Amino acid sequence: MAKIDYRKDIQGYEQLRGEIEILNKYGTDYESHRGSVTRVIDRLHPTRLQLKVSEIKKETGTTKTIRFISSGRRLPPFQAGQYINLFVKIGDVRTSRPYSLSSAPHQTGFYDITVRKVESGFVSSYLLDELQVGDELESTAPAGYFYHNPIFHGKDLVFLAGGSGITPLMSMIREVTDRGLNLNIHLIYGSRNYEDIIYYDEIEERAARHSQFRVTHVISEPPSDYTGCCGFISADLLRDVLGDVSDKTFYLCGPDAMYRFCRQELSNLCIPKKKIRNEMFGPPADITSDQYWPTQINPRTTFKVTVHNGKTFPAVAGETLMASLERAGLSVPSSCRSGECSLCRTKLLSGTVFHPRSVKLRKSDIKYGYIHPCVAYPLEDLLIII
Amino acid sequence: MMNDYDVVVIGAGNGGLTAALSLAKNGCKVLLLEQHNIPGGCATSFIRGRFEFEVALHQLSGLGTESQPGPLRDTFRRLGVLDKLDFVEQENLFRIVLPGKLDITLRACRDDIVRVLKDRFPAESSGIDRFFNLMYLFSTQMIFGVYSRDPEISKTKYPEFFEYAAQDLQAVMDKYLSDPLLKLSIGNYWSYLGLPFNKLSFLDYAIMLFSYIELKPFHIKGSSQALSSALLDAFLKAGGDVRFNCKARKIVVKDKQVQGVVTADGFEISTRHVVSNASTLTTYLEMIDIGDLPESIIQSFSSRTIGLSACGLYLGFDCEPQDMGVTESTNFIYMSDDLDRMFRLGRTLEKPEMVMFSCFDVEDPSFSPTGAAQGALMATSYAEPWLSVPPNQYAETKYEYTQNLLDMLDLIYPDCREHIEEAEVSTPLTHMRYLGHPGGAIYGLDQYVKDTNLFVSPHSAIKGLFFAGAWANSGGFQVTLASGESAARYVLKSLNQ
Repeated sequence: MAKIDYRKDIQGYEQLRGEIEILNKYGTDYESHRGSVTRVIDRLHPTRLQLKVSEIKKETGTTKTIRFISSGRRLPPFQAGQYINLFVKIGDVRTSRPYSLSSAPHQTGFYDITVRKVESGFVSSYLLDELQVGDELESTAPAGYFYHNPIFHGKDLVFLAGGSGITPLMSMIREVTDRGLNLNIHLIYGSRNYEDIIYYDEIEERAARHSQFRVTHVISEPPSDYTGCCGFISADLLRDVLGDVSDKTFYLCGPDAMYRFCRQELSNLCIPKKKIRNEMFGPPADITSDQYWPTQINPRTTFKVTVHNGKTFPAVAGETLMASLERAGLSVPSSCRSGECSLCRTKLLSGTVFHPRSVKLRKSDIKYGYIHPCVAYPLEDLLIII
Repeated sequence: MMNDYDVVVIGAGNGGLTAALSLAKNGCKVLLLEQHNIPGGCATSFIRGRFEFEVALHQLSGLGTESQPGPLRDTFRRLGVLDKLDFVEQENLFRIVLPGKLDITLRACRDDIVRVLKDRFPAESSGIDRFFNLMYLFSTQMIFGVYSRDPEISKTKYPEFFEYAAQDLQAVMDKYLSDPLLKLSIGNYWSYLGLPFNKLSFLDYAIMLFSYIELKPFHIKGSSQALSSALLDAFLKAGGDVRFNCKARKIVVKDKQVQGVVTADGFEISTRHVVSNASTLTTYLEMIDIGDLPESIIQSFSSRTIGLSACGLYLGFDCEPQDMGVTESTNFIYMSDDLDRMFRLGRTLEKPEMVMFSCFDVEDPSFSPTGAAQGALMATSYAEPWLSVPPNQYAETKYEYTQNLLDMLDLIYPDCREHIEEAEVSTPLTHMRYLGHPGGAIYGLDQYVKDTNLFVSPHSAIKGLFFAGAWANSGGFQVTLASGESAARYVLKSLNQ
């Protein structure tokens, strides 16, 4: 107790003790703060949303818009361009897929997603063929970084969309035109043919009504009598329709092939990288076509994955570890399923995996073996912590 | 009765990690629970584009050099992680600018600081000497008397300590210094503790400034996540168990003694010892049944206030620091010298009048990709005003607020804005979300003069429950890292009884 004795000799000590005693009587009553942090955060970033299908609308021969309302709390706000990760249970497998919200963010009465049928698409087939009005699903709250950031994106925006890549951009178009925001948008929308253009009528109507929004459709397989832009979104085409390309920010969203093509074209136009924003678009369709894939590994090889203090399950080299985990009935949190959001980050204790270069690993993740199962492909037997 | 674990540590922030590692190295069976998928808490990094952004660490204090090691270097050595980390020494404490009035850079060297201050404030030459003499004397007495637990500590042996330990910084500076700009220069690190001079403990400030000058500020290569990951790795190697994505829901208490922990997924773990790296308030209010809480415990927080948080803009630039004229790692930009006003503004969404800008690439070009740089632009702010922003106006509000920060950066580095390649905003709500702390407080509870550890006991009223982290003592890397080791010592003592 020597300590207390010496403290009493500190000049001003007793006075401060007195102050503390008074404040202990009349200060803040923290009893009333119970639950407050969760309440505050849930208004913006709830961990899960309970959604109910309120409407299903056919957009094109292969595309439908699914409208969700909340069957739980109020839907949180989002920034136009963000996505939700939708959880589904198909047969025995619980999995999820990220879908960009296509509805405008200034109303949160509902969220729209627009789904195009993917060949042999496990989840898209389910959503398009089996989902019914009234069905209930769970999702994450909106997330993602593909949105207009007023700090450095400027006011002149060029949207390069390919096929269903239009969905996050449509949310931005709706917001900017409905609210009359001080931004100019030129949408350059690549589709295979006219029938494939999603939201055609609405896009035309908005372009006609709002001078801040222009659209150029680019058709890759046009009919013989077609007079509009055709082919791909090339540097020449961009120069023709945009004129001066400096000081514009480009937003790219579409399939892999379109990214590769458009990035090259933008680079030919000397657009600096900071003026190009990309949306992630899921894991690569065929990982073995990645230029760094170790060709000595047969993608059909099956490895053993063991969870530390848990079960062991098989995983095929050519498939994401996430898919194998889900098939084994295990779940790790996930959101973007593209290697970007880091929600599925998992510690690898032994073994190696292959990540495509687009994965967002940090220096210490590489040094200490943290992987992103959504785009990690086993190259050996693995031991992981989940 | 056999327990599942000797100790369960809740939270893998700085304090939780050093507590868990220290206990595991001492042969305890330890389970570490972490709500996120990585260790670190604040001590982490995130990626946008090609940048890995440092979240929290600006200037690591207490490390010291190899020839003159500080307490933190000893801690790292004891925990076996020293050789796993690369530290970058920062030559300067900071550049401080009040446009048109003040622009000086202070090196981490007492003689140099005194010389620069005397050059700028020649009329106060003797006051500057006397203030630094006092600060050094006080800090040395604090180290020998309090930290080294001198059994003969007394007013006669350590007179300056006994005179100033319960004073505020304003009072002590007023005694020796008169120009407000001089006081601002010397007291510039106030934002690292979060209170203006007249509310800030001289004790806390003196020891911090002393330690930055004598032991130098540092940064960690690969960001503070490199530290967190190294600590976790050492913990696993020492035989510890970790569960990620696993929030602790409840601490089971019976007859004022810890009995176990229940996780959010309903898993029950029996243990007699818990080290909580969650905030003290969260631990008591959310994790222990009301009926099991000793009556006076919540009441004992009444005199305390929830500390400040921060608004930040993490910036990735498409060029190197020198291309934008950035020559200092750590910069403080002021709009006025009125700290009380600044403190009040921290409880509003009005334009702040002080911003801090850190650019680690100045001294560690490997921090960002070649030909690029990153900067952290931060203003201190309380959560209060953010709580009343309607959710659908949150995004716009945060962009508007951070534009103000950029406007201030423009004043000293006008070329920065056009080089922005990535930008991410954080607000007190961001910190609240990721840390789960009330108010998104980054340094724990406010640390007024009455709240220094002269007055606050580290012991909890529940047997077997211990705390580590900013809420257990005060904030900052050095303190929170040390708090875990200290909590581990208390646990070991209790286990050996």
